[in-house]
Amino acid sequence: MIVAETRTRQKPAHATATQQQLADLWHVVVLNDPVNLMSYVVMVFKKVFGFDEMTARKHMLEVHEEGRSVVWSGVREQAEAYVFTLQQWHLTAVIEADEAA
Amino acid sequence: MKRVEVKLNLEAVAPLLDVIKDAADDLRPILAVTAPVPDHDEEFAAGWTRELLEGQNSDIGVFLGLFGSDFFLTGVVPLDPTNSEAILRACSAVRLRLRAKHLEPLGDEALESNEVPHDDMPETQRKAFAAYVFLATLQELIVQHLDPTVME
Repeated sequence: MIVAETRTRQKPAHATATQQQLADLWHVVVLNDPVNLMSYVVMVFKKVFGFDEMTARKHMLEVHEEGRSVVWSGVREQAEAYVFTLQQWHLTAVIEADEAA
Repeated sequence: MKRVEVKLNLEAVAPLLDVIKDAADDLRPILAVTAPVPDHDEEFAAGWTRELLEGQNSDIGVFLGLFGSDFFLTGVVPLDPTNSEAILRACSAVRLRLRAKHLEPLGDEALESNEVPHDDMPETQRKAFAAYVFLATLQELIVQHLDPTVME
């Protein structure tokens, strides 16, 4: 598995901060890592998000093949809580503001 | 998950414990994964990192506790609902550290496919790779017992 890098956006600083403050939709994004087993990632997704086997596997394959997967979307506070839990399981997880917000 | 007693090959596993313990020691002050903390102030970031580190060290403590004097007498490690998730996480952390410290030069494709030049590897790297594979096997075993529906 190849480690993928997070995307960065080049915007004026004040515009970026304002947009992010106003964004009410945040994404939990899991990035690929070269170590964690597929079965482990599937199990973590099922446990943390309550996914069924098929959904968890779909997201795992997305991470593996495309380098990232948006596994949850919603309010920032909950997104941060999920990211913390995923990091507890040593998955590379970040939050991203919805670009349309 | 019921309690499972796994009998390991002492001759094969015991020599790996040094490199495993070494990686675990490296992880005391640092996180196995350095993912970004959500954008907040320094106090938030410090608290976030501190809590993750406390959890990581706790999990690794549970994992290393499997290899006490009983293990060296019997070769058996007990897995049950009270320790299995901690051991799973600890295996992940240690594997991440083993890759970062010893195995990165081998390349991720080689690591994933197990096509590594065993005979040409320095002893430490060879042990690190064997530990990396052993911990993966342990994880697979636990995942299967925790959730038999997970397909590989």
